Amino acid sequence: MSAVPQQELPRPGGFPEIRYKRYLPKIGPSGFALFTGITLMCTVGLYRVGQGTLERRELEREKVWSRLHLIPMLQAEVDRDTYRREVAAKARDAETMKDVADWKDEPVYNSKRYNAKTFMTTP
Amino acid sequence: MATFREPSLPTGKFVDPTPAPAESAHPEVGSTSAPLKSAAFFIGAYCKDYNEDFMLCKDENNDPAHCLKEGRKVTRCAMDLITKLRENCEKEWVAHYQCLEKNNQEYYACRKQERTFNECVFSKLNLEKVIPGASGTPIHLRKDTIYN
Repeated sequence: MSAVPQQELPRPGGFPEIRYKRYLPKIGPSGFALFTGITLMCTVGLYRVGQGTLERRELEREKVWSRLHLIPMLQAEVDRDTYRREVAAKARDAETMKDVADWKDEPVYNSKRYNAKTFMTTP
Repeated sequence: MATFREPSLPTGKFVDPTPAPAESAHPEVGSTSAPLKSAAFFIGAYCKDYNEDFMLCKDENNDPAHCLKEGRKVTRCAMDLITKLRENCEKEWVAHYQCLEKNNQEYYACRKQERTFNECVFSKLNLEKVIPGASGTPIHLRKDTIYN
């Protein structure tokens, strides 16, 4: 009996490696590259979205100003037409009511302010 | 009466056939929307005084009978400008408003035609398109835009 304690040891040459994971080939860019790339892409995209919003605002202002410049001309045309119709409607009313002695053509509101007519009589 | 309303018990659309009284009779511009939109900024620049006078008059009194005289001036000015545009820059103008017609009347879709039209109007009639309160380069002068 020897003084050296006996310990169980691997066999000479060692045990073979145990396959506990799949050895898949590394394909595609690394996680860091993906993360950086996607962040960059999102930043550029969001920047362009912001620029697009600012640009859309300017386009909207351009459109609004183009309409503002046209308002007087269109309103003048509508006014002439409205005036023509109002004069014609008044003449029709006067013709209908010509036999009523105390009929007066006056606005229903106790005010000098102009009110567009809600109803009109048609022939 | 500016808006068309169905009369009660209507038998159809009522169009008043009465001719305009002498004090309001005036020929109309008679243009469709695309040429007007194309020329809007030039109408605004060319007829500024008449337009402002008319709008101040409307502010004074909203009665259509009150501002007939100013309204006639506005219309005459617009017709005058349209005649001038047709004399001087008809080709460029037609190109621009036909482009607007094809592109849902969006200015951004027709910058190329607009630039030639604006240059022509500036050289011949000395009118410039100015968008008030623009931040930075005005949108119609920008070279690289996101919407185009």
